[in-house]
Amino acid sequence: MMSKRKSMSYKAIIVKRDDPGTDKDKSDLQIRELKELAEAAGYDVVSELTQTRYPDRKFHLGRGKVEELAQMVFHFSPDKIIFHNPLNTMQVYNISEICRCETIDKFQLILEIFATRATTHRSKLQVELARLEYELPRARAVISILKKDERPGFMGLGGYEDSYAQDIKNRINRIKDELETIQKDNRSLRAMRHSLGFSLVSLAGYTNAGKSTLFNSLVDEDVEAMDMLFTTLLPTTRSLTINGRQVLVTDTVGFIEDLPHWMIDAFRSTLDEIFLADIVLLVVDSSQPVEQIKEKLLVCHETMWDQLQDVSIITVFNKSDLLQEDELQQCINYLGYLSPNPVAVSALKGSGFDKLKTKIYNELPEWERISLSLPMSEEGMSILAWLFDEGIVHDVEYDEKIYIEFEAREKIINKAISIINKFY
Amino acid sequence: MFDIIAVDISGRHRTNDEYIMVCAAVSASVTADNIEKTNQIAIRSFRSISAPDVTDVINMVETTVAELKFGGTIVTEAGDMYNKPQRIIDSIFYQDFKYQESLGERRCIELAHHVSLAARKFLLKELGLQ
Ligand SMILES: Nc1nc2c(ncn2[C@@H]2O[C@H](COP(=O)(O)OP(=O)(O)OP(=O)(O)O)[C@@H](O)[C@H]2O)c(=O)[nH]1
Repeated sequence: MMSKRKSMSYKAIIVKRDDPGTDKDKSDLQIRELKELAEAAGYDVVSELTQTRYPDRKFHLGRGKVEELAQMVFHFSPDKIIFHNPLNTMQVYNISEICRCETIDKFQLILEIFATRATTHRSKLQVELARLEYELPRARAVISILKKDERPGFMGLGGYEDSYAQDIKNRINRIKDELETIQKDNRSLRAMRHSLGFSLVSLAGYTNAGKSTLFNSLVDEDVEAMDMLFTTLLPTTRSLTINGRQVLVTDTVGFIEDLPHWMIDAFRSTLDEIFLADIVLLVVDSSQPVEQIKEKLLVCHETMWDQLQDVSIITVFNKSDLLQEDELQQCINYLGYLSPNPVAVSALKGSGFDKLKTKIYNELPEWERISLSLPMSEEGMSILAWLFDEGIVHDVEYDEKIYIEFEAREKIINKAISIINKFY
Repeated sequence: MFDIIAVDISGRHRTNDEYIMVCAAVSASVTADNIEKTNQIAIRSFRSISAPDVTDVINMVETTVAELKFGGTIVTEAGDMYNKPQRIIDSIFYQDFKYQESLGERRCIELAHHVSLAARKFLLKELGLQ
């Protein structure tokens, strides 16, 4: 999906304003993150512009800097100007007018990313909701700008202002209702998954960490993801078998620094996918400078703290092929206090997967192992078939009876015992 | 595993014309995402007529931590130090100091928070203030 957008190659200029006295490292990190986000959304970042000053009410940057920006637009002809700083409607209007280029801020960029990745009905609704909630205060502002200019004919519209804002509010409410219904369906889906004994592993991390690459090379190829129920609600869910245990793996949206609250709320259920998992694979790009990885891990920990239920975390140091062994070890050691269950892999080369799978296996909810015997009969065989479906049959010996080494979750073990007791 | 001392102070608001504060320090070993073992907890109360500033807060933390038999990096929420940059606060402390980062540290701070709240509630009751 992304590669398609990349080949269309939209161009963008990224812009950031810092208050005087802003920490330089932090600022550098933020502009890098903005660049990564822009690239994740399919833009080719052709130039960057930064300025240190307090925000200008009308242009956000200084007037002179906006003229400079207009020159850059003339030179590079980008499709968009992307600001790191939140802009108000007036500023967007003024900058777009002077630069003759569509101008958005970081949150709209994030919305674009979410929008391109929203594939389920639910996530589409969430994106739409976030967009409307972003729009609502701005819709009011646009109207008051228009009013101030006293555009001819506008005053005659009377109740237009109210009805426009009301329209947005109505749509917001409708979407919220619908999401709630879906949310309920999802909860029962989750319960069903648990009763079926599936464990859910979800991939989390910053954009570009290599989540999709890892996802694609980790999951069992050609294994269709469960039934339609799963595929419609969790489209990026595929199955993976580790030592006989079947787990469902889900790719998710990435973490992003300072998401505004209206957006976090809108995406809460998307995040739920991560946090209602049994295991989270926290993927990091270990080829980046350690300080950058650290900043990103910090954001992940902060986000997870707000959301976390009872889940195990495995920190996947991806792109290990780009580092020397000792560099990698140093990086993992240094970040140890922020990295639960660290493991190094290369999603691209497929190395480190055995260790990763072992770690996943160790963190799976526990199953029990017992020895059983069944009568050598048609009935015994059909029970054996059932055991194959419900757990792992480690060993079968056919003698006068059928002797079986069986592993499964507690409920299945108990059921198996009660069925078998009927024979004796 | 990492040895930390998670500290939390409750009661940093005026109660009956004074500040009745309780500081709890939890010494523990944490992993990146969990508390592995708690070693000891120290609790101290402090009363003051004026609102505490950063130096007062640091003094309270150091006095409470001094009662622990175990060492470790002192960890607090940034808000407890009025969001001052970590390196400034670190330079004032005698011991190693940092703001909470990992989930393990956050869990431990949460524990310290519950302890200081509960202890303060008990203290106010004993003092007949509630
Ligand atoms: N050298 C190397 N490159 C990798 C590895 N894994 C992923 N990459 C590259 O890193 C880039 C990002 O990978 P993705 O899998 O798209 O990353 P992602 O985390 O899914 O990113 P978003 O889709 O933006 O959230 C791609 O160019 C991959 O080819 C790896 O193990 N080694």
